[in-house]
Amino acid sequence: MNCNKDSVNHELNLYFDNSATSWPKPEAVYRAAELQMRQMCGNPGRSGHTRMLEADRLIYRTREALAALFKVDDPSRIIFALNATDALNIALKGFLKTGDHVIFTALEHNSVLRPLGTMRRNGLITTTMLPCSLEGYPDLEFLENAYQPQTSLLVINHASNVIGTVAPLRKMIESAHKKGVKVLVDAAQTAGTIDIDIADLDIDLLAFTGHKSLLGPTGTGGLYVKVGIDLKPLREGGTGSHSEIDLHPESMPERLEAGTLNSAGLAGLLEGINFIRETGLDQIREHETALRRSLREQLMEMRQITVYGPEEAAECAGSLSFTIRDTDCGEIGYILENNFGILCRTGLHCAPLAHQAFGTFPGGTIRLSPGFFTKAGDIQFLINAIREIVALTEKG
Amino acid sequence: MATNCYVTFPTIFYAIRAESLLKQKDFTFKMVPVPRSISSSCGTALRCACPDLSKIRQYLADHQTEMEGLYQLEEDGFKMPIVKELQSDELQ
Ligand SMILES: Cc1ncc(COP(=O)(O)O)c(C=O)c1O
Repeated sequence: MNCNKDSVNHELNLYFDNSATSWPKPEAVYRAAELQMRQMCGNPGRSGHTRMLEADRLIYRTREALAALFKVDDPSRIIFALNATDALNIALKGFLKTGDHVIFTALEHNSVLRPLGTMRRNGLITTTMLPCSLEGYPDLEFLENAYQPQTSLLVINHASNVIGTVAPLRKMIESAHKKGVKVLVDAAQTAGTIDIDIADLDIDLLAFTGHKSLLGPTGTGGLYVKVGIDLKPLREGGTGSHSEIDLHPESMPERLEAGTLNSAGLAGLLEGINFIRETGLDQIREHETALRRSLREQLMEMRQITVYGPEEAAECAGSLSFTIRDTDCGEIGYILENNFGILCRTGLHCAPLAHQAFGTFPGGTIRLSPGFFTKAGDIQFLINAIREIVALTEKG
Repeated sequence: MATNCYVTFPTIFYAIRAESLLKQKDFTFKMVPVPRSISSSCGTALRCACPDLSKIRQYLADHQTEMEGLYQLEEDGFKMPIVKELQSDELQ
């Protein structure tokens, strides 16, 4: 998107693409990121002076806030990464060994499918795709029969970024653990809207991104790594400690964090998490579920429209997908933006296998993702716009 | 002449964790750059009065905080201090 002042009038836009990145952010997020750049030096961990210590403290507090949010008692097990993609790469490439077998769901994002695809093509691993129903639920019976002696990892997308279906995490984790298989959860779509109790669910690895429902800036995200799991670091370099030896430190979190961290971004992320804590995750979830329910019901009233995913809004998070009979999704997205100022996302949403499962490949869907700052009136405006478009398509 | 005790840490994560934990309690200490006369993996150390060292070390050990070394320094202005490395079992 071109954010040149003259070409975009933010006041007129209605934003329905929170699954891509959340917007707007809480005011405190913008302020904290700016303040961090203005007042504190940017190289945490590198020297003892007070400005840098301030940056170190801020990073520690952000880690602690994430640990509290995910119910992890040791914050050193949360490492920072660029985004969910980066965290998933760190997890997959650091965990998998030659000869391993991996099971992943059909709902996975390309940030899982592509690293796994590369490793498979290079002959390092073998994989099995766990199919899912039209509503986006993984086939648990298939899962029971998919384990092999070399299976080391099950990868689960916590919520589909196409239709929003939330995976039955607990059942899937219990199934994997019974076979001695570890579980990597992609929480890109759920961290910040769904309560994730890592300790209670017994999750082994969890990747999250800061710029979606956690309401932070882009360039933030991370990975939770359970005690006892040692990932081979993807990157090695400066950490501010043990500088005299050319051996990357063993101690977490530094082991998986080489280079200067994004302290301005993390300052913003901390405020995003604080906002969530103060507002209450339940409140956020309730608001988003109500919006989704209303959106879905009104879309379903139009006979030319197919809505994908579970009927019950409470079983979903984030994205809702639909198509209009005999129309091209990209074209509808273009009209929504140009005629109505409504921003959404059309196409395959980096999840080609999910679209194959829903029968929407290769045309894709129109994806709507309201967020916490979306109002009921925005939904009404959106529905009216879609009604107008549908009427137009009827005329031909 | 002054006698001070120091705790060093393997990484800045643990230095800040120590500070954060101890601040929530009534411990008296200060985070300082590691004195040149001792060697440490991490550039920030904790300085405290020597009679408090044992309590502080125990509290950190009980709260998942890795430490690297414990030291007692006889400091005299800009002169090189006299350094004594302490073992945790020597502390009362
Ligand atoms: C399910 C899922 N996984 C991973 C990602 C990647 O997130 P990021 O772009 O922050 O790396 C996304 C979003 O784009 C997603 O929806």
